[in-house]
Amino acid sequence: MDAIASPSVPDVKGASGAGVRIRVRGLAKRYGALEVFRSIDLDVGDCEILSIVGPSGCGKTTLLRCIDGLIPVDEGEIWVNGTRVTQPIAGMAMVFQHFGLFPWKTVYGNVAYGLKMAGASKAEIAERVPHFIAMVGLKGFENAYPYQISGGMQQRCGLARALAVEPSVLLMDEPFAAVDAQTREILQFELLRIWEQRPTTMLFVTHSIEEAVLMGDRVIVLKGRPSSIAETIVVDLPRPRTRETLREPRFAALREHVWSTLLSEARRAEFEVGGGL
Amino acid sequence: MTESLRRHAPLLLSLAAGTALWEIAGRRASAAFLVPLSETLVRLWEIAASGQLWEQFVSSAALFLTGFALALAIGMPLGMLLARMRVLRVALEPYIMILYATPMVALIPFILSLMGFGFAPKALVVFLFAVFPVLYNTIEGARSIKPELIEVARSFRSSEWKLWCDVMVPYTLPFAMTGVRQAIGRGLVGMVAAEFFLSATGLGQLIMTAGQNFDTGGVFAAILVIGLIGVGLMRVGLMLEQRFARWRD
Ligand SMILES: Nc1ncnc2c1ncn2[C@@H]1O[C@H](COP(=O)(O)OP(=O)(O)O)[C@@H](O)[C@H]1O
Ligand SMILES: [Mg+2]
Repeated sequence: MDAIASPSVPDVKGASGAGVRIRVRGLAKRYGALEVFRSIDLDVGDCEILSIVGPSGCGKTTLLRCIDGLIPVDEGEIWVNGTRVTQPIAGMAMVFQHFGLFPWKTVYGNVAYGLKMAGASKAEIAERVPHFIAMVGLKGFENAYPYQISGGMQQRCGLARALAVEPSVLLMDEPFAAVDAQTREILQFELLRIWEQRPTTMLFVTHSIEEAVLMGDRVIVLKGRPSSIAETIVVDLPRPRTRETLREPRFAALREHVWSTLLSEARRAEFEVGGGL
Repeated sequence: MTESLRRHAPLLLSLAAGTALWEIAGRRASAAFLVPLSETLVRLWEIAASGQLWEQFVSSAALFLTGFALALAIGMPLGMLLARMRVLRVALEPYIMILYATPMVALIPFILSLMGFGFAPKALVVFLFAVFPVLYNTIEGARSIKPELIEVARSFRSSEWKLWCDVMVPYTLPFAMTGVRQAIGRGLVGMVAAEFFLSATGLGQLIMTAGQNFDTGGVFAAILVIGLIGVGLMRVGLMLEQRFARWRD
């Protein structure tokens, strides 16, 4: 495992600050007595995909909600595109774990929603919505309501809604966790294909190690209670990433590395609980 | 044709049986209590032909629609506002619950002494009968909205106004419509009660005068009209509810 660099300080493309899309410094968040995470530092470069992996309940969603400006932080600062985030800002869009589609809106209405909120004109909406519906492969389902389509298709719709506002920063909260394994794999590669067409900065939260390695330029492992960044792993796999990538020995090595980091954490947590009893 | 006949057969049979029962019971009972359906229909025709029915119907409809429209215009927005503002809800909820549970007829003497016999106090009675189911169902509906969806709206930088237009209202409408349907029935009770106890007008007056004149056929004719209006309005309410709830699986 020596071959794998694991710098404890986040290593950034353009560490000078130029090209940094997301900068997080000393972030801490508490829900009452529960301290979710502390001293989180992140820098995400332009068009970089940063995977964040960690066990369920470690605060991944909370971190994304902070970065999206949805909830206040207790300590630290978040900067996106040079703007200090204290509330949701333009140029950033989120894809939600449970899709977050409006059930009373059709696929078309849901995809148009972000544009409508951004104040796009009717003509602009009529032009862009079909384009993004086609991009995620939902052509022909424009008039379907969310309950009429499968989970995978619902998340395609959620993705199109986020892409339609052409954000420079995409926040993905376990976007494929709620769909079946097969659909998940299809969606992963489609997302990679879409990203190749139109690269954006992406924070990709997942609890799947394989997915984290496949998607990310770097993988951040969250651990501990409260969580903090245990390790940052640089994923030096070439792009475009395809199904071939999954078969490369390097992919397996990286996956093992992330896995052992998470496992040692899981073990320790188990012992901590055991010791406490 | 035969299929739809088979489907509706129980309903048609039941209606036929009810009609026959009314007719037979009416023929046997003293005319002071009950008259047969045929006689009721004849009286209804007479009242209609005299122009009286239409006149009183218009008077009642104006009363009902005023009170009912007020109940919707206040009940639905207030319900959503209370769902959205916790402080306000906690402060007002006990009063809403008490008033919802209070038989509104009990308030009529109070309204009479406060506002007299005019149109306004009567519309207020209809309003009070109708508003609470609307308010209550709107609050419950609006509160059941998933916080995640509010968060989606905030993430896409929705203004509060757009949050209402695009999220609160479309989500809450089907729930509110359940209350609206209940409010139709209660509003009609309020209408007749106001016409009985405040000043006698409309279909309520028709019942009262007929009663005073021992015109049992007239009484039943007016009751029949009110009942049919109620059934018709309920159907409209149900249709609207289904229309707004199309998105629910
Ligand atoms: N609104 C909230 N209020 C209180 N506790 C919360 C809230 N949201 C999340 N939590 C808690 O914070 C921790 C992290 O949650 P979350 O960010 O959803 O984790 P993850 O996304 O990694 O599964 C969990 O223990 C969860 O119970
Ligand atoms: Mg989560």
